[in-house]
Amino acid sequence: MKKIDELEYLKLSKWNKFVYRFLSFFAAIPSKLWGLVKAVGRFFKNIGLGISRECKDLVTTFVKGDWKTKLSYVIMGFGNIARGQILRGVLFLLMEVVFIFYMFFSQLLNADGSNGLQWLSKLPTLGTQGAEIVETTSRFGTVTHTTIYHDNSFKILLYGVLTLFFIAAFIYTWRANIRQNKIAEQILKTGKPLKSGKDDLRSLVDDNFHKTLLALPLTGILVFTVMPIFFMILVAFTNYDFEHDGLSTLFHWNGLAGFKEMLTWNSGPVKYSAAFGEILTWTLVWAFFATFTNYFLGIFVAMMINKKGIRLKKLWRTVLVLTIAIPQFISLLFVSQMFAKNGIVNGVLKDIGLITADIDWWNSPSLARILVIVINIWIGIPYLMLIATGILMNIPADLYESSRIDGASGWKQFSKITLPYMLFITGPYLLTSFTSNMNNFNVIYLLTGGGPTNTALSGTSNVGHTDLLITWLFKLTTGANQKYYLASVVGILVFLVVAIITLVVYNVLPSVKNEEDFQ
Amino acid sequence: MKLKRIAALLLALVMVFALVACSGTENETKAPVASGNKDTQAGTQANPGTEDTYELAITLWIPDAAVELTKKQIEDFNKSNTYGIHVTPTIDALSEADAATQVLNDVATAADMFFFAQDQFARLVRGGALAQVPADMVATIAAENNASVVAAGKSGDTQFAYPLTNDNGYFMYYDKSVIPEADVDSLEKLIADCEAANKYFAFEQDTSAWYNASFFFGAGCHSNWILDDEGKIVSVDDDFNSDKGLIAVKGMQKLVTSPMFVSSSQASEFSNGAAIVVTGTWAYEDIKGILGDNLGATDLPSFEVDGQEYHLGSFSGCKLLGVKPQSDGDRQVAIHMLAQYLTSEAAQLERFEALSWGPANTNAANDPAVLANPGLVALNAQNQYAVPQGQIDGAWWDIAKVISSEVKEAKSDDDLKAALQNYYEKISAIFEMSEEDKNAWSVIGSICGSNWDKDFPMTENGGVFTSEPLELKAGEELKVRQGASWDVNYGADGLNGANVVVEADGTYTVVLDVAAETVTLQPAE
Amino acid sequence: MSKQQKEAQAVMKQHMGLKASQRLSNTIIYILLVIMAVIWLIPFVLIVLQSFRVESTERVNYIIPHSWGLKNYKALFDTSFPRWYLNTFIIALFQCVIQTVIVLCMAYTLSRFRFKMRGKLMRFMMILGLFPGMLTMLILYNVLADFNLTGEHSVPGLILVYVASSGMGYYVSKGFFDTIPKALDEAARVDGATRFQVLYKIILPLAKPIVIYTILTAFMAPWGDFVFAAYIAHAKELGMNVAVGLNSWLDKDHVTKYYTMFCSGGVLVALPVAILFMCLQKYYVEGVTGGAVKG
Repeated sequence: MKKIDELEYLKLSKWNKFVYRFLSFFAAIPSKLWGLVKAVGRFFKNIGLGISRECKDLVTTFVKGDWKTKLSYVIMGFGNIARGQILRGVLFLLMEVVFIFYMFFSQLLNADGSNGLQWLSKLPTLGTQGAEIVETTSRFGTVTHTTIYHDNSFKILLYGVLTLFFIAAFIYTWRANIRQNKIAEQILKTGKPLKSGKDDLRSLVDDNFHKTLLALPLTGILVFTVMPIFFMILVAFTNYDFEHDGLSTLFHWNGLAGFKEMLTWNSGPVKYSAAFGEILTWTLVWAFFATFTNYFLGIFVAMMINKKGIRLKKLWRTVLVLTIAIPQFISLLFVSQMFAKNGIVNGVLKDIGLITADIDWWNSPSLARILVIVINIWIGIPYLMLIATGILMNIPADLYESSRIDGASGWKQFSKITLPYMLFITGPYLLTSFTSNMNNFNVIYLLTGGGPTNTALSGTSNVGHTDLLITWLFKLTTGANQKYYLASVVGILVFLVVAIITLVVYNVLPSVKNEEDFQ
Repeated sequence: MKLKRIAALLLALVMVFALVACSGTENETKAPVASGNKDTQAGTQANPGTEDTYELAITLWIPDAAVELTKKQIEDFNKSNTYGIHVTPTIDALSEADAATQVLNDVATAADMFFFAQDQFARLVRGGALAQVPADMVATIAAENNASVVAAGKSGDTQFAYPLTNDNGYFMYYDKSVIPEADVDSLEKLIADCEAANKYFAFEQDTSAWYNASFFFGAGCHSNWILDDEGKIVSVDDDFNSDKGLIAVKGMQKLVTSPMFVSSSQASEFSNGAAIVVTGTWAYEDIKGILGDNLGATDLPSFEVDGQEYHLGSFSGCKLLGVKPQSDGDRQVAIHMLAQYLTSEAAQLERFEALSWGPANTNAANDPAVLANPGLVALNAQNQYAVPQGQIDGAWWDIAKVISSEVKEAKSDDDLKAALQNYYEKISAIFEMSEEDKNAWSVIGSICGSNWDKDFPMTENGGVFTSEPLELKAGEELKVRQGASWDVNYGADGLNGANVVVEADGTYTVVLDVAAETVTLQPAE
Repeated sequence: MSKQQKEAQAVMKQHMGLKASQRLSNTIIYILLVIMAVIWLIPFVLIVLQSFRVESTERVNYIIPHSWGLKNYKALFDTSFPRWYLNTFIIALFQCVIQTVIVLCMAYTLSRFRFKMRGKLMRFMMILGLFPGMLTMLILYNVLADFNLTGEHSVPGLILVYVASSGMGYYVSKGFFDTIPKALDEAARVDGATRFQVLYKIILPLAKPIVIYTILTAFMAPWGDFVFAAYIAHAKELGMNVAVGLNSWLDKDHVTKYYTMFCSGGVLVALPVAILFMCLQKYYVEGVTGGAVKG
């Protein structure tokens, strides 16, 4: 497509600007992809260069260093201790001791009797010896079959991954230990004193205060978010399911079979690909409606309440925020029961003569889909109302004043001032709310449990017409036939979909940080 | 500050409640017991002081209603058993319907013993979550219990579960003050009675295939699911889409189009204006409470199509007790002993008395009290029209349950036929094969201990397909077929030819040359 | 009539017309608001009514109970409900303390400090956030099971997992910290205060709304968590929280016997949480509008 310069761009109408940005984004995809490939190439090149540089540095440090430095290659922290930096030295030494213990001796503490090295060595196979059933004579004289468990694929994968992380951490620390020696030597050459342990401690609440503050949160995230995600990505490449639970029957590496099962058309009696397509479509439809109905109705309600002359503002707000205040599992489960076929809603509708036969709300696909969107409005409006109230109050009053003098009607004020201002401020919020609606587990799970069942997709863990990818992931993990590797594949695909949407939106929508666009 | 005070007060209130809650639980929490998972084999060592006692701490998953009774029965077991086994149970309430899911989530920490509905049996076996019943006990189980219940706990020749009840079926409860005794055998008369009295006829047709199969079984249809050795369902033999099926849906139509029809199986329908509810023995106590002496229970009625009477059928099924595999032999046997006790004649009778669960034990089932229970009498009467519930593909329940909605909308026979056709297509789709599987070749025959019921896969190498080395005996016969069906098959003289006969014992690979249309046996090294 | 009078009259008319239309639109708005208030309140009124209904325990299709009583509340004490309540309360208490500290550390650091890895760290966490959290449920379960922190011992396990991953939710608080002028920090640093003193003596008092917001949301979250808590509890009653326990009363086998008790249990859970929320509503609003949008 034709490139235009900045001056021409500014002359375009708003809509044309948007179209231009939209098209130029997609036109730029090939070059961006190429850029990505180049970036990856650069990345690996840099890594290679980095490693060779580090190695060179290691050698020169060893050759030129004094005996304290040389000894530090084997005994971590020795140089620090010998030069009086006791605290640092002890910490380095501790790390080495813990590492050696974990790699070679941790079986002493471990009921499974394996150390880091053993876990690592089993990682390529995920275990070779499954459970065996043997005949045993018990003390009561009865002969029975007992199950003797040997390898546990799950633990091998878990501790294998953990060991890899630990080794990486150890190498990093070892390298830091050597660099410290080099720096210490240089400082001592210039005749300055080294930092004492006391200095180190003091810097932790001052210059290095950020390290102190981040240490705990980041450790938590590393252990309970990063490693589990890394681990679950690996699970997608195995055949881990309820039959191959890793203990009774071992599971093993299975390459891309899980992705193939999920993504290739008609791959067998169980149509995972069809289910994936259908659920993805509904997930996007749902996220669209859930986001925008809430958004516009929320703004509308906020404007109603904030209108001049409306009294009891606080009361209206308080009533609405009840749905935020009360845990969703109570409100949503109860509402779900209200709409049951012999529930209160049908009872009341029949009593006042609106219907004669019970409506089966949750058993009709289209009705159930509409209902979850409507009930989601009930849950979502209050939140948007709060946000919109805050923003509306910040709109400069003179904007309205001057527009009134120009004779603008209420609608015009809304479409020319209120809405653009809101969209400008809440652009990023809209995006995150779209993606979080894609993963809105609670509303769907508590209201319908994903139902009514989609009979055309039999065998795919009871997929229903209101299932989102996230509830499907849950069903694959905990449902009737646990398919952990497929759940993992779905998780990765959800990530890809969300990431693509985020990327596109950030590139296409008006740059939110750019104040000029709004004016 | 006002706000602070309110917040403080509130926090105090919650804390007070939590404290009350705390004291509340202390009263009922039993002494903490180490869970019996495979890592902590707590309490498996015999008490060194007294040679004869064997301490056993186990966990159980049992339906809410049966928890108290089971506690008592375990106490009885502790007193009566002669092996000195002393059981300390930790019992959690878990519905029989959810047992398999929870057990399979993590077998290692699952309960040692659990009640489950028979339809979960195959999954539990496939997941390695059931321990084999010791040989000593198998004979007793088989001798004392209803044969079909014993079979439901068997995979191949191995017994994996204990019979618990034999009452998973449905029949008809009715209000004697509305329905005349003489009408209970005819569906048409019952519908007319309900319409005349403006009372509901409750039969859960719309949301449960378990109930709406009744009409199909009544008309003589069948639906059998075929499993392979590993417990996987491989095909189905189902004739709902036939002339008999058409009769069934015509009968169903009479019921579901009645203005007084409600799709429900809840006992509470009787307090919401129903005169008839089709449900099972579990609802007996509740219905007794509502109807009192007006409670009537009997087998399902017959319906009439084209002048012919068809008695409504039903599913019959059972509940089983399973034991988780253990690594310690003593522990395993002790748990099995408890399991045997909990499924003995006496225990099943107790369960009948407390909960109205129908016994699977033949003696218990013939107990005068059981024979006099109106619910079980009606169930027994219905049982001669019942079909034992085997292993059924999970999708079937969802596919079959929508038939009644389509029947309700149907205007003509063609519409009814379309509903059945729709059902048939969905059922067939379950077993639709991939292109890869359809094109795959395999060897089949009376070979390697199989009898024309197992396919041995072949691998391709440039138009020539070869099997794994097979040990064949002289006189055995085999053929090669494609897509595990007989549509395309090769024999001794080409396409659709005669069986290939093995001439001498030995290990062979079977080779198919598609271009030359020949099947040859090549001795393998 | 003079020209001036005419003009004045026209202005008057316009004014009156404006007033009339204003009244009309206000009336419509009132009607809409009343309808909305009714819709918003109905489920909560119903659940309270059902919790006092004693004539039967199953779900019914009428609104007003035929007979009233406290039976459903009393019956709660014969079940594991008190234990579930206690479990949830303990979790909520721990979480609102530890999570607040962690989130504030994270948000403050990322808002105030400029260090080498800052940009990369934030981008990395954003990418992490795009992974569905449920993906990690299975592995976290197995890790906790290894330390015997599942089933009946799930309370410490749940606290650990909730707290450990809470650093990811720093956006809102960071947005708020960004609005506090940096000049304040710098002035204090010039006066010789350490970074820690700046945080403790200057920033925290100013950030009171966001601190309360964080405590409030951290306290409320465990009362509603169903999925993860259910998986960790693994059907062991002693390890359940209120959401898991009460939800189990609505399955097909239990609903007839426990429906009204679900309602009474729900009221007991909702009441303290909702009142606390209402009391601290002001801070919640500040947090949501201040942090959520800007962050």
